[in-house]
Amino acid sequence: MASRRIPVRLVVALSVAAALAVFLLYTSFAGGATDSLRPSQLLAGNYAGKEVQLAGIVKGPLAGDPHAGGLRFTLKDFDGPQKVEVVYMGSVPDLFAAERHVYLRGTLENGTFVGEEDSLVTKCPSKYAPKADGEPT
Amino acid sequence: MPGLGRAALVVALALVVYAALAGGYAAVKGRRRLGDSARNALVASFVACLTASLVLWGAFLSDDLRFTYVAEHSSRNLPTRYAFTAFWGGQEGSLLLWALVLTAIGSAAVLLNRRLVSDVLPWTVPILGAVATFFLLVLVVVSSPFATTPEPADGLGLNTSLQNPYMIAHPPLLYLGYVGLTIPFAFAMAALASRRVDERWLVATRRWTLAAWTCLGVGILLGAKWAYEEVGWGGWYAWDPVENAALMPWLVSTAFLHSVMVQEKKGMLRVWNVILVALAFCLALFGTFLTRSGVLNSIHSFAESSIGGWFLGFICLAAAASIALIVSRLPLLRSRTKMESLVSREAAFLYNNLFLVAFALTVLWGVAWPLVSEAVRGIQTTVGAPYYDFFAIAFGLPLVLLMGLGPLVAWRRASLRSLGAQVAVPAAVAVAFGIGLVFAGAADSPAGLIGYTFAVFVLAAIVLEFARGTHARKALGETSWPAAFASLVGRNRRRYGGYIVHAAIALLVIGAVGIGAFHTTRVATLSPGEAMTVEDYELRLVGVTDQRVANREELRARLAVTRDGDPSGFVSAGKNRYFAPGETPSNEVAIRTDWLRAEDLFVIGDQFNADGSVVLKVFVNPLVNLIWLAGFVFLLGSVVAMWPDAREQARLARRLSYAPAVREA
Repeated sequence: MASRRIPVRLVVALSVAAALAVFLLYTSFAGGATDSLRPSQLLAGNYAGKEVQLAGIVKGPLAGDPHAGGLRFTLKDFDGPQKVEVVYMGSVPDLFAAERHVYLRGTLENGTFVGEEDSLVTKCPSKYAPKADGEPT
Repeated sequence: MPGLGRAALVVALALVVYAALAGGYAAVKGRRRLGDSARNALVASFVACLTASLVLWGAFLSDDLRFTYVAEHSSRNLPTRYAFTAFWGGQEGSLLLWALVLTAIGSAAVLLNRRLVSDVLPWTVPILGAVATFFLLVLVVVSSPFATTPEPADGLGLNTSLQNPYMIAHPPLLYLGYVGLTIPFAFAMAALASRRVDERWLVATRRWTLAAWTCLGVGILLGAKWAYEEVGWGGWYAWDPVENAALMPWLVSTAFLHSVMVQEKKGMLRVWNVILVALAFCLALFGTFLTRSGVLNSIHSFAESSIGGWFLGFICLAAAASIALIVSRLPLLRSRTKMESLVSREAAFLYNNLFLVAFALTVLWGVAWPLVSEAVRGIQTTVGAPYYDFFAIAFGLPLVLLMGLGPLVAWRRASLRSLGAQVAVPAAVAVAFGIGLVFAGAADSPAGLIGYTFAVFVLAAIVLEFARGTHARKALGETSWPAAFASLVGRNRRRYGGYIVHAAIALLVIGAVGIGAFHTTRVATLSPGEAMTVEDYELRLVGVTDQRVANREELRARLAVTRDGDPSGFVSAGKNRYFAPGETPSNEVAIRTDWLRAEDLFVIGDQFNADGSVVLKVFVNPLVNLIWLAGFVFLLGSVVAMWPDAREQARLARRLSYAPAVREA
């Protein structure tokens, strides 16, 4: 049988095309990404009922039971006064406390941000690295 | 002492600047003696970095809290072993570790390879010098570990989550991996700059790349084990940006380790290989940038600092310089041979490379997406686990299949009939196993079922390869089966080491599929005397204990476990609350391992209520322990593949001495 040369570039191009096709398939079926917002952005935009990730500083009082009825607290902008009430059900990270930087997924319902179960994540406390000026994102 | 540390860093900076500038001038002008002095400066910079590091270690071990860095990352009661590892507990120390490791392995690689690639080395030294200059400049100008402060009564202490044996090894291993990837990068770019683009730079750097890749792989798994036991959310890998930061260069260097074989054997994929090396290096820098800049919402992003811009600038510079150099040398990098068939070993390597790089780039896209979206829309957008899981399955499953098929396909051109004959036995074993799993109820997760089946195919193919090879060695006159096996592996360490690594990946896939697709979770609030059932386990809350020891209060839920009705002992899960102000509580999970099934019963004492009840979260994680076993097998395979082999060296030396040096046309 005569040997036929296969151009590597063609294989690469076809493979890249196939990968892109898979990518498109994914975005078509599985949906896109989630917006990561601060309280001010959540309140200013048209996000009611839409799943987003909310990041901010925890403000007390911390009330309620995360496993029965929900834990209630307020999330404040890192660099501004805007706040939003949060109710959250599920596991609470060990590091969670007032003044900590946290983020969680959920939806804005009637002015309250309702967190998704087990989505609350606490960033490590800043005592371990002095913060630079400005807002940590 | 802080003065000595600062002085050592300034001297180190001066030396690497000299290595970069004088070395570059010597390389361009062909000044050999100047080049030698640049090389010596690089070696001397290691001594200066070591001096600076010893000063810092000395400060940690003697609780010298005048050092701001020590005061912020240690305390007087910190155990010695953690005082030692607190060195890299923060940004400044991590950067110093980068500089120390880079100058150490850079000097070693240059000294050990001065014969093999003597004509490339004049360029390697300035490139290593330039990379080291960046890190030392940041250390001297922006982020010095030798800043001082009026001595406080005590230090702030080391983050409790870092006071763990896994955290002693995990960060330095990742850094060794990141920094190690500088070596193939420096040699590859030097080969391009010097126009000596034959295969010697691959031979010179193969073990360095393999070692860096092994460190990254083991480091990632140690981090996963730490997260599993200490963070205690029941999983082992969360697609956190910083976990991904280590995964991306590992994936690209995995592709590189495969494609170099095609270049060594066939002289193909030469452009591709230098692109992979540059990409792996840039991703290693990006990994350090992600860990240290805090630009993303990540539980790791505790170092919110000002070095992000420096890193981003250097990554852009390294990428631009690499691209410019590769483009300018394209005519020299033409393949000497063409691929003859899509069914051949080289084609299998190419497919493997494309999937690995595509996977790495989709992970990169996911990690960078929040930054891109914020730049474009003003709002950060994130992708979560479903995005990564989708691509892990879409690219991972074909990769596992290729891992089984690749070693069975002949080089150059394989007929489908001969391939069918090779594949028949392992395929039959895998299909039989898959059908068995369907009857066992594993069809609930098609991806999981396929993953298991492919992994069994890989393991069966590897066992068959070992069996065939051992049989052949025995037939050639080895006295015993163990001797035949040892001779088989000893004569081709690279190949059989690679097979062992493949077996490790197959085990990891089985473990990851087990916990990912087939775990069970239950949450229940139990009062003393009440019980909950998870799979075939029953857990009854015996009581809650609240003990005060040395520096903490230990809250524990004590549970009696029965399995299939048989008593199976007790487990205690809960939390530690530390008395020192600012110390964060820690989650103390209970893990009961069934070694025979490689399964874990994983219990989290999530919340202790005032009425004596406890919210418990219980997981049954099937096969998860194969992930940790895979780590040991991976290390074994890597060591076998790395082990010096005089026969192979002689073979390569013979071949390379005949290889015509490719010079400028």
